[in-house]
Amino acid sequence: MKRTIVVQRNDPNADTAANERKLAELKELAHAADYVVVGSLVQSRYPDRKYQIGRGKVDELAELVEALEAEKVIFNNQLSTTQIYNISETCKCEVMDRFQLILEIFAARATTRRAKLQVELAKLQYELPKAKAIVSLLKKEERPGFMGLGGYEDSYEQDIKKRIVRIRTELLHSSKGSELLRTFRHERGFSLVALAGYTNAGKSTLFQSLVEEGTIVEDMLFTTLSPTTRSLTINQRKMLLTDTVGFIEDLPHWMVDAFRSTLDEIFLADIILLVVDMSDPVDVIRQKLVVSHDIFWKRTEGAVIVTALNKTDLIPDEDLQKKLEVISYLAPAPVMISARSGEGLGELKQLLYENLPKWEHCMISVPMSEEGMSMVSWLYDEGIVHTIEYGDSILMEIEARDEIIQKVKPFAISY
Amino acid sequence: MFPIIAVDISGRHRINQGYYMVCAAVAVNVSASHIESVSQIAVKPFLVSSAPDIADVVSIIETTVAEINYPGTIILEHGDLYNQPEWLSQRMFSREFKYQESLSERLAIEFAHHVSLSSRNLLMKELGID
Repeated sequence: MKRTIVVQRNDPNADTAANERKLAELKELAHAADYVVVGSLVQSRYPDRKYQIGRGKVDELAELVEALEAEKVIFNNQLSTTQIYNISETCKCEVMDRFQLILEIFAARATTRRAKLQVELAKLQYELPKAKAIVSLLKKEERPGFMGLGGYEDSYEQDIKKRIVRIRTELLHSSKGSELLRTFRHERGFSLVALAGYTNAGKSTLFQSLVEEGTIVEDMLFTTLSPTTRSLTINQRKMLLTDTVGFIEDLPHWMVDAFRSTLDEIFLADIILLVVDMSDPVDVIRQKLVVSHDIFWKRTEGAVIVTALNKTDLIPDEDLQKKLEVISYLAPAPVMISARSGEGLGELKQLLYENLPKWEHCMISVPMSEEGMSMVSWLYDEGIVHTIEYGDSILMEIEARDEIIQKVKPFAISY
Repeated sequence: MFPIIAVDISGRHRINQGYYMVCAAVAVNVSASHIESVSQIAVKPFLVSSAPDIADVVSIIETTVAEINYPGTIILEHGDLYNQPEWLSQRMFSREFKYQESLSERLAIEFAHHVSLSSRNLLMKELGID
């Protein structure tokens, strides 16, 4: 485990609580990437062009690196190529920023080819503006005109661009596959439920409690990078529950785009189960909910949002009520749960059931024959059979999605 | 449900000699993710000769919202107040004010945007200005 120092430059007049939260998040991210945070440094000032933080503060940082024997410095602010170079020259150790750290975590966790491609895409998109800077620096040396060095191809930048296009095409092809799978699942009568929420809110624990199956659960950011899907049946309605990657504050839009297909599981679901960690301070919960709403805005396609207020076992009832009052305008269809103790899960399942796409009720009378019997077994597979009476004909009360009802319409007695 | 007044201003760019702006304020009742009911809409046109600064924008909003006979917090997009921090913007208004946060607040602002934009388009057509 590498020893590291985290650094943050705050804008003057910025919210102190928000700054502290950002720094805490950076530390958690570093922990998730297997670093040991041995020290931190904060400065309040406007950005310095050469070092991001002030020149004097960089010297202080260099001393701290030496004293604490740190091998790496991680900045919360985005650094330019020159800034990384200048700081690492002074501190004599590796320097990276928050985005590189997130990419490092993603790269380490990516297991499927698709996830690996997405990580590479995000890396390349991060590299692209830097490649432009490098090329323009090189071009300064170039002498134009006859016998000059001209014809300098921006090959580095071009290579990156070409690779980006190739990866995008490949991702597009593979996303068509998952699109087909999604339609197929819908046709088979599965409703899609996606677990969404801020990273470390307890989505994987809830997932495990709901489907009673082992997924990796750790107290760490980004445990789930590739979505995991399992089936779940509530009151005979089948649904597919998907655990997805956690949201994170200040994630640049290109990074959200790069991981779009992972998030697509959320955006194309019938129900979004938004998980919130209620043990956080109330302004942190509020901020995280705002980030989640920001991500949902314009992207969800008619999905119902159900908010699971998790980790209620960790706080007294009185505090819980106060918090709920403050955040209620950001929490659609809220339900209090504790994924660990199982409290409130019954209520949550009921709420999910109520918000599933509506199925129609129908009374049908099927002739007592071989075909009739095969129809009965088909209806047991595709829908819910509420009552069945065998007589001269088979009288059934069924509940199913629209396509199924249309198929059995000739046998209908009443709706 | 929460009462809010979502506000949007269209036309903050120069056309001919002036800035033809239309401000729309919609008073709605919202839940966390949906608009539940609409209570009142106010639309007001403004014409100024120089680019509106933040004080002009605040006064335009206050004038329009004064038409609304309904309680509620004024909701705006960050950009409408030139990305001023919330604590600063709050002090400029006589009523309660905040930036958009929830899905329903965003929806309400989108609603106000459609009202102000189409009213402005209609006004420009009537005045024969392009």
